[in-house]
Amino acid sequence: MTTASDAGQRPWLSRLRGSNNEGILALTILVLCVGVGVVEPSFWSVRTMLNVASNSMTNVIFAMGVLIVIISGGIDVSFMAIGIFCGYSVIVLTNETGFGASSAPVGFVLAAVIGVALGVLNAAAIAGLHLPTLIVTLGTQGIIRGAMLAYVGSKVIPDYPEGLDKLSTNYLVTATGTSSTRLSVLIVPAVLICVLVSLLLRYTMVGRGIYAVGGDAESARRAGFPVVGIQFFIYLFAGLLAGVAGLIHVTRVRLANPYELVGGELDVIAAVVLGGASIFGGKGSVSGTVLGVVLISLIRNSLILLGVPGSWQRAAVGLLLIVGVGAQALSARSRRTSADLVAEGAPA
Amino acid sequence: MAPAEPLLAATGISKHFGGVVALADVSFDVRPGEVHCLAGENGSGKSTLIKVIAGVVAPDAGTIGIGGELFHHLTPRQAIGLGIEVIFQDFSLFPNLTVAENIGLAAQVADRRKVVRPRVVRRIAAEALERIGVRIDLDARVEDLPVADRQLIAISRALARDAQIIFMDEPTTALTWREVEALFRVVESLKERGVGLVFVSHKLEEVLRISERITVLRNGVVAVTGDVTRFDRAAIVKAMTGRAVTDARPAESVRSSEQPLLEVEGLGLQGRFKDVTFSVQPGEVVGVTGLLGSGRSEIAEALFGVTPADAGSVSVDGRPVRLRSPQDAIKAGIGYVPGDRLTQGVFLDQSIGRNIIAGSLDRLVGKLDLVRPGLAQRTVDETATGLRIKMSSADAPVRSLSGGNQQRVALGKWLARDPHVLILNSPTVGVDIGSKHEILELLQAKSRDGMGIVIISDDVPELVAICHRVLVVRQGRLVGELSGEQLTEETVLRELAA
Amino acid sequence: MSDGAGRTGVSDPTARLVQRMLVERGVVRLASIALVVLVIFSLASGNFFSIINFQSMGFQVAEIGLLSLAIALTMLTGGIDLSIVSIANIAAIVTAQLFMSAGSGTASGSSSVVMTVGFIAVGVAAGTACGALNGLLITRLRITPILATLGTLQLLNGVAIVWTGGRAIYGMPESFLNIGTGFVAGVPAPVVVLLLAAVGTAVFVNRTGMGLRIKLVGANPTAARYSGLNNDRVLMRTYLMSAFLSSLAGILIAARSASANADYGASYVLLAIVIVVLGGVNPMGGSGTVTGVVLSAFVLQMVASGFNMVGFNSFLYQIAQGVILIGVLGLSTITQRYDLRSALRMRSGRDVDGAPSEQLPAALGPPVPPREREHEQ
Repeated sequence: MTTASDAGQRPWLSRLRGSNNEGILALTILVLCVGVGVVEPSFWSVRTMLNVASNSMTNVIFAMGVLIVIISGGIDVSFMAIGIFCGYSVIVLTNETGFGASSAPVGFVLAAVIGVALGVLNAAAIAGLHLPTLIVTLGTQGIIRGAMLAYVGSKVIPDYPEGLDKLSTNYLVTATGTSSTRLSVLIVPAVLICVLVSLLLRYTMVGRGIYAVGGDAESARRAGFPVVGIQFFIYLFAGLLAGVAGLIHVTRVRLANPYELVGGELDVIAAVVLGGASIFGGKGSVSGTVLGVVLISLIRNSLILLGVPGSWQRAAVGLLLIVGVGAQALSARSRRTSADLVAEGAPA
Repeated sequence: MAPAEPLLAATGISKHFGGVVALADVSFDVRPGEVHCLAGENGSGKSTLIKVIAGVVAPDAGTIGIGGELFHHLTPRQAIGLGIEVIFQDFSLFPNLTVAENIGLAAQVADRRKVVRPRVVRRIAAEALERIGVRIDLDARVEDLPVADRQLIAISRALARDAQIIFMDEPTTALTWREVEALFRVVESLKERGVGLVFVSHKLEEVLRISERITVLRNGVVAVTGDVTRFDRAAIVKAMTGRAVTDARPAESVRSSEQPLLEVEGLGLQGRFKDVTFSVQPGEVVGVTGLLGSGRSEIAEALFGVTPADAGSVSVDGRPVRLRSPQDAIKAGIGYVPGDRLTQGVFLDQSIGRNIIAGSLDRLVGKLDLVRPGLAQRTVDETATGLRIKMSSADAPVRSLSGGNQQRVALGKWLARDPHVLILNSPTVGVDIGSKHEILELLQAKSRDGMGIVIISDDVPELVAICHRVLVVRQGRLVGELSGEQLTEETVLRELAA
Repeated sequence: MSDGAGRTGVSDPTARLVQRMLVERGVVRLASIALVVLVIFSLASGNFFSIINFQSMGFQVAEIGLLSLAIALTMLTGGIDLSIVSIANIAAIVTAQLFMSAGSGTASGSSSVVMTVGFIAVGVAAGTACGALNGLLITRLRITPILATLGTLQLLNGVAIVWTGGRAIYGMPESFLNIGTGFVAGVPAPVVVLLLAAVGTAVFVNRTGMGLRIKLVGANPTAARYSGLNNDRVLMRTYLMSAFLSSLAGILIAARSASANADYGASYVLLAIVIVVLGGVNPMGGSGTVTGVVLSAFVLQMVASGFNMVGFNSFLYQIAQGVILIGVLGLSTITQRYDLRSALRMRSGRDVDGAPSEQLPAALGPPVPPREREHEQ
C-alpha cells in the first residue's frame, strides 16, 4: 500500500511551504522587505507598517469575498461595484433620512444588507441559470454601478452622518513624525472578518462544501452537498463582505466618491491568485490571501519609497500577476507529471 | 426459503440521452443480505441505471420503490438519506481534499451537520479504512495518491455512511487480489448485517463467486435475470452479447512476407509500459487486449503521439518515424479513433461535415489557406455515404446522432484521410449491435484493401471475430500473442486472467 | 429527412455562407431586434432617423465593432481577451508618437501618405506584438486566458501610462485624421474600415482552414488534439488576430479623437463583451458568426445614440448593457434547455452508458480542466 510519499519524506519542508505555497509568499515578502530596507533604510519603520496595514484593510475584506468565489471555481469582477454602491448609498441614505445617523453599527448593518441584496443578482444568474461567472459579474458590475450613479447619486459627498464621522477619526495607533501616520480602528473589523472567514472555510460544512464544489462540482452533488445552495451562499456572502468593505473604505477616506473603487478589481484578484488560490477552483487559503494583499500593498509602498514614478504602479501589479500565475502554472505542471508517475506505479 | 421483501425496487425505468436510448423499461430490485450482480457489456445501460437510482440522473419514466414509498425520481441527497450508497466507477472523489475529508465529510453531510469537527472527520475516516483493513495517510491529498488508493477511499466512503443498499460499479478494477479478498470479506459481513449489495463487474469469476442473483442488461433492456445457480460463464456471456457463438473468423490469412506496415520495436514509457514490440502487415487486423490499467490504451496513445513514448522506435512502411505529437503520427500515416468518443472522438455540437473534415483540413485547403469548397463537400459526401451514416443533413450536429452513428463519424474523420495504419480504441463501446456489425465489416473491408488495423479492446468475442492476431498486455508488457487455431475466446480470457 | 444525406446544404463552408446568413436563427433574430430598436427610437426622437445621426453613429460604432470582433475571435476558442483596449491604446500611442517625433505637420503630398501608411503599419505591428505576449502566456505558460489577459490589460495599460506620462498625445496630420473623420461616398470612413475588416474576418473564420480550426479548438480542445490539430498554434494565431483587430480600432480611435491616450475607452471591454454575446457567440467556444457580431454592434450603437437623444444619461446605458448581457445569455440558456428537452422526446435509437450529460457546459465560470482521471474508465 502506498502513501503520499512526497509529504512523508520532508514534512518540515512541506509544512513550511504551506499547502498553497504560503511559505514561498512569506519568503518573498521577507526578501522584498530586506532588499528595500537595504536600499532605503527609512523603509524599516513603524510608518511603513502602518501604511501597509492602512492600505490593505479594505482590499483584504474584498479579497475574502473573491477568495471564496475563486475557491468554488468562479471569478468575480462585480465586488468593487457592490462595495462602492453600499458605501455610498449608506452615506446618502443616512444623510437624507437621518435613520441611524448617530450609530455607526447601523450603517454597517445597512451596508451588509444592501450587499447581500446585490449578491442575489449574481447568485441567481450563476447558481440558478448556470451562466459563466466572469460574464455574469461583468454584467452586474455595469448594472450596479449604473444604478448607483443614475438613481442614488453621482456627486461626491463630504458630509458624513455623525456616527460614521466619529468612527472615521477614531485611530487605533498614531505614529508621529514629520507627517503623522495613523491606523484607523477599522482595522479591527477587517482582522475579525479574516478570522471569521478562515473559521468558516475550515470548520463549517458550507466552508468545506465550497472546497468540494470547487474540487469537483459533480462529485459534490453525488456526495450529497447542496451545490446550488452553496453557490447561493457564496455570492450572497461575497456581496455582504463587499458591502462592509465598501463602507469601511468610504468611512476611512472621509469622502464618499461614487466614482471610486470600480477599476481597482485587479489588485484584489491578483492578491488572491498570488495567495495561492487556484483559478480552477478547490484551492486557496485565508492566510495566503492576506499575504497576497500585503505583498501588493508593500510593492506599491516600496515603489514610492524607492522613488519610482507612480505611473509604474499599474504596470508593476500587472507584471506581478503574470509572473505569479505563470510560476504557479509551471510548478503545477511539473508537479502533475511526477504525481502521474506515482499514481500509475511502474510496471513490475 | 421465500425471498425476502426487497429493500429497493425500481420498476419500468426508461431514460434517453440525446439520440440514444440508455434504458428502456428496466426493472430491478435488491433484497436484504444479498449480492445482486448487474452485468452487461459496456454501453448496456448499467451505469445509467445506477445513476438513476442514486438520484444523479432523472429517469424519463418509471418508479423507484424504497422503504414503502414510491418515487418518480430522487435527488442525490434523498437517495443518501434513504440509505443508498454508490461507489462510482470514476470514484467521484475530491482531488483537492484530504483522504480524511473525502471519507469523513461525506458522512457528515449525510447527517446534515453544519459544523465540521476535524477530529470527528478523522475518526470516521480512520474507522472506515480500518473496516476494509487498509492504511492510507489520512492527511494526504487524494490527487497525490495512486488509483488503487483512490478506489479504496471511494469504498471506505460508502461504508462510512450507514448504508442499506450499496452499489459497487466495477469496484475491483484497480485492486490487487489481496485487496479484492479484503473487499469480499467486507461484502460478506455487510450481507450478514442485512445490507443489500449490487455488484457491477466485467470479471465473470468474481460475479459467479459472490452473487446470489444476476441481472444482465443488453442495449438498455433486461436480457435475463435470475438466481446465480442457473448461470454459468457461457450463459452470462450469451446473455450479454446476445449470441451463443462468435462470428466466423476472417478466412484469408495474411502474407507475412511483405514489408510490415507498422513495426514497433521496444516501445516504452516510464511508469506505463515497457518493451512493446510487434508489427502489423498490410491487410492485417491486430487486436490488443488487457485489463483496465494494463497499459493497453497508453500504448495506443503513444503510437498516436498524444503521450509520446520515451523509449523504442516505430517504423511505418519501412521508414522510421518520430511520434512526438498527433501531427507527427498523422504525417506518418497513422490514424487513431480514441476510446472516449464523447470527449475525444467527436465535436458534439459541431456539424457532421466539420467533424469529418477535421482531420484532413491540410489536404482540403488551396491558396491562402482557403478551404476548397468542392473538395470538402466531396470528401464529406463520399465518407458519409461509405459509412452509411444516417443523418438528415451533414449540417446537423453530431449530438443529434445515435451512438452508433456518432462512432461512424469519429471513424469517418480518419477514413477521409485514408491512413496506412488505423488504430481504434474500444471502437464498438456504446454502439448498437447493428452498427457494431457494420463497423466491424467496414474495418475488415478496409484491411482487405491493404490498411493495417490495430484494435484496442476488452471485448473478447469481438476481437476473436475480426482479428488475425491478438496481443495480450499485462502490467505494461506484451505477455501473449494468439493467432490462428489458438485464437479463441477461451484462450484469450485465460491469458487475461493469468 | 432520410438517407442519401450529405447531399443538401452540406459542409463546405463557402456555399454555406450565404445560406447560413439566411437560415441562421440568431442573425434573423438580431436583424429584427435592430429593426425594432430603430423604429422605437425613430418614434421617440424626431432627430434619430436622420442622415446626420446615422453618420455620427457610424463614426462611433467602428472602433467598438472592431474591438468586438477581436473578442469574438477569442471567444470562438473558448477563451477571452480582456486586454483589447490596452492593446488598442498601445497601437494608437505608437502611431501618434511617431507622427509627433517626425514633426509631421510639415510633410505634404505623396510623402505624407507614405508616412501615414508606414506609421500606421508600425502602430498596428506594435499592437499585434502585444497579442503575441497574450499568446505566449496562454500557450507556453498555460495561464488561463482570463488571468493572462487581465494581467496584460494592466501591464500594457501601465506601460502606456509610463510612456505618455498619463498625458494625451496630439499632432497627427490631416492625412491621418481623415481616416477617423472623413467620408467615402457619403459613408463615414471608419465604417468602411469596419466593414472591410468584418469581411476579412468573416472570410478568415468561415473559409480558411485556420478559421475552422479555431472553431474546432473552441468546441472541444481534447477532440481537436485527437484530430491532429496543433491547439497551441491555433490559439497563438487567434490572439495575434485579436490584437491586430484591436490595433486597427486603436488607429481609428486616434484618428477620430485626434489624440492618443493611455486611458481611453476603459468601459469598452464590457460593451464589447455585451455586443459579442448579443451577437450570438457562445462564450464557451465553438460557435458564432461575424455577421451577428457586426449587427449587434450596430444595435448597441443605436441604443446608445437613442438613449442619448431621448435624454437618458450614460449610466442608464451602462445598466442596459448589463441587463442585455445577462438577459441574452439567460434566455439562450433557458431556450437551449427547452430545445434539448424537446429534442430528447423526439429521439430514438439505442445504446450508451454514460451518455452526454444533459447539463449545459461548465456551470462554473472559467473552463475547468478535465479531472485527472486514469486513462481507461
